[in-house]
Amino acid sequence: MAVNQESQVFLFLSQILGKKIIDTMGRPLGVLADLVVNPAESYPLVTDILVSSRRNAPPLVIPWERVADCNGRFTVRPEAGGALPGRVLAENELLLRDALLDKQIVDTDGAKVRRVNDLQFLKAHRCLYLVHVDVGFRGLMRRAGLVKVMDVFLRWFFDYTLTDQWISWKFVQPLSTPDLLRLSITQARLSQLHPADLADIIEDLDIHKRTAVFQSLDVETAAETLEETDPKIQVRLIEDMMPEKSADIIEEMSLSEAADLLGDLPKEKADGILKEMEQEVAEDVKELLTHPEETAGGLMTTAFPKALPEMSAGEALDYLRREAEEMDTIHYLYVTDAEDCLLGVISLREILMADPAVALKDLMDERVVAVGLDEEPDEIAEQFAKYGVTAIPVVDDDDRIEGVILFKNLLEAVAPHLGK
Amino acid sequence: MSDERFPTNLRSLVLRPFQRRTWRSFAVFLMLLGPGIITSNVDNDAGGITTYSLAGSEYGLAFLWTLIPITVALIVIQEMCARMGVISGKGLSDLIRERFGARITFYLMIVLILANLGNTVAEFAGVAASLEIFGISRYVSVPAAAVFVWWLVVKGNYKTVEKAFLVACLFYLSYIVSGFMGRPDWGEIGEAFITPTLRMDGAFLMMAVGLVGTTIAPWMQFFLQSSIVDKGLKAADYPVTRIDVIFGSITVNVVAFFIIMLCAVTLFKSGIRIDSAQDAALALAPLAGDYCAWLFAFGLLNASLFAASILPLSTAYTVCEAFGWESSLNCKFTEAPQFYGLYALMIILGAGIILLPDVPLISIMYYSQVVNGLLLPVVLVFMLILVNDRRIMGDYTNSRGMNAFSWLTVGILILLSCALVFAALFY
Repeated sequence: MAVNQESQVFLFLSQILGKKIIDTMGRPLGVLADLVVNPAESYPLVTDILVSSRRNAPPLVIPWERVADCNGRFTVRPEAGGALPGRVLAENELLLRDALLDKQIVDTDGAKVRRVNDLQFLKAHRCLYLVHVDVGFRGLMRRAGLVKVMDVFLRWFFDYTLTDQWISWKFVQPLSTPDLLRLSITQARLSQLHPADLADIIEDLDIHKRTAVFQSLDVETAAETLEETDPKIQVRLIEDMMPEKSADIIEEMSLSEAADLLGDLPKEKADGILKEMEQEVAEDVKELLTHPEETAGGLMTTAFPKALPEMSAGEALDYLRREAEEMDTIHYLYVTDAEDCLLGVISLREILMADPAVALKDLMDERVVAVGLDEEPDEIAEQFAKYGVTAIPVVDDDDRIEGVILFKNLLEAVAPHLGK
Repeated sequence: MSDERFPTNLRSLVLRPFQRRTWRSFAVFLMLLGPGIITSNVDNDAGGITTYSLAGSEYGLAFLWTLIPITVALIVIQEMCARMGVISGKGLSDLIRERFGARITFYLMIVLILANLGNTVAEFAGVAASLEIFGISRYVSVPAAAVFVWWLVVKGNYKTVEKAFLVACLFYLSYIVSGFMGRPDWGEIGEAFITPTLRMDGAFLMMAVGLVGTTIAPWMQFFLQSSIVDKGLKAADYPVTRIDVIFGSITVNVVAFFIIMLCAVTLFKSGIRIDSAQDAALALAPLAGDYCAWLFAFGLLNASLFAASILPLSTAYTVCEAFGWESSLNCKFTEAPQFYGLYALMIILGAGIILLPDVPLISIMYYSQVVNGLLLPVVLVFMLILVNDRRIMGDYTNSRGMNAFSWLTVGILILLSCALVFAALFY
């Protein structure tokens, strides 16, 4: 932007709200009640001002072009006839005070929920651009009218100057209405966040905003976020959704997480969702649901790769490549006989390094470590630590492989406080 | 948006669970039992026990009647809080910030911190007073209590200990048993209970404000609403929550009734003024005889520790919520410095003030409740505006009758406070 340096001034919303507004003849029109922007722009331009004239009367919407002067006081040019045009706000327009000031936002750069203390504008070319959101203590003190007192106090006693904490508008996701979350530009902002951060943010919000944020996510992100969310909140989020939509999300989750979640839901709700899910996935989840949650059977997933001993390494690689998307883990390929009895294990690394023509039975490690279906988490942790693997197979009494426990899922069972 | 999530007719919600699914709803009741009962038991804290004891010992049965309007007001106010929590899913300070802006919230929070600090000091005064009965110096008991509370909340398992505190609250039953064993003149008590008496002197007015302030403490409203939000209660659970809150409110006042009555028939009749916890304990003499002091000390200690472990934490949560600061015990200090800072400030100052030489314990416990009473109308005005805001509450705003009663309560409280200030200045 080639802007004349001298005309650039920063303004705060708190400084201009409540300012008297007069027309060019000097007649008072009222006070500034709010500003309107289109939030889809990267630095939104103030398009209109809201002027409240009398109590109980709806505020006037005056286009910014009619504001002749905003230095010190606001002067408005009336139209030729002397009347001021009125109009209704469109859906994609944002009232700054109403929707942002004192409300919660997501800082997508710092991945945190913050509260807006003030908004900062850049005044250039006689236009106002929304540039920063103030979330710092200095902004709060400015609102309380104590910023000068505080600055003097801190300088005198501690030789310290408190700095402002501003977030650039491009990292701000407003939350106050569900409509704001449906805007495509803001959707893109939330999708910059890691699902684990999104889960933390969702946990920090109140019930209505939680649902709104969660439902604005695409199915895949929603599933990943749900996996990272506290089980109690998972249940509430899913309960608030239609069974079809929640079925789509749960299908995307790993099988063991999906089973845990469905196990926590009320029976009717869980059955409703299972009915909407793809039959194959639903069968697997139902199978997992029969095991108690705190045993090997409850921790394992059934989406893992297995192969017969006669398969060659090359075929195995093709098979893994084909199935990888559907699997919860591909680090190990388990070799079983036709009855599913566990014969051995081969890591992905070994398959990659092997001659494609060699059969798996000549490559596999027969000293495979497995646990029983009702093994306790602490015992399983022992095995993980002792053998240094990232996944352990689970077998039934006849040595048939039933599933695989991922280290990630075990960690959640033995150290639930980590990462929450 | 609210239409699809909440059934519009609240009445059908209230009636339904108790027609068809009585047993199931009883189970749900036990499960949800909590916020209201816990809040009301914390309400009978050191300041509460002291204020009720003083009211009985200095004015006899004269204040007994005030418990009727106070109970009704407590029910109405707590119900509004509970409803706001369930419907908005937000805490009270969050709602105040979003509706009234940063400036008002900032000054309200400053006042609330000071009032809550006064209450925290009162809790530690309760610890000191109760353990002095056993001959333990306050220079030992208060620091130990501060460390205990800190460890309990930050490191320990608070939820388990909360249950122990709640069980220990059965101590209040001893006032009720003692009340019957003392064979008081029930006719006289009954008459005093339904005959309003009012005197226009400063001390009497101050006691009235103190009684209101201790029973309907401002910080409790913030605490109750946050606990309800934390529990994640839904509109469908609301009828149960309401029973919980009403039940809790009545419990507080039954206990208050017996404390005032007992102190009136034992201490007031024999002309004993309460200068220490030892004197207040005499009210339990009909039940425990010579051991009354021990029983009282145990009860006061439990009440004080229970409230001392909640108040500083609740204050830190309330303030951080209003200003959008990270607030969780799961955070490390560097992640939530304001939260831990406030928490530490409340405990260190709260315990520290008691350790100043010659601090009068009974007076601290009493005057902190008077300050509560003065702050209450302010908080109530905010609450009433919020609960009637359709943008927040949808179809769950106050009924006309509730509004009339609430505004009447606020009016009386403001009159009472003005009269108190007037009397304090000119007499």
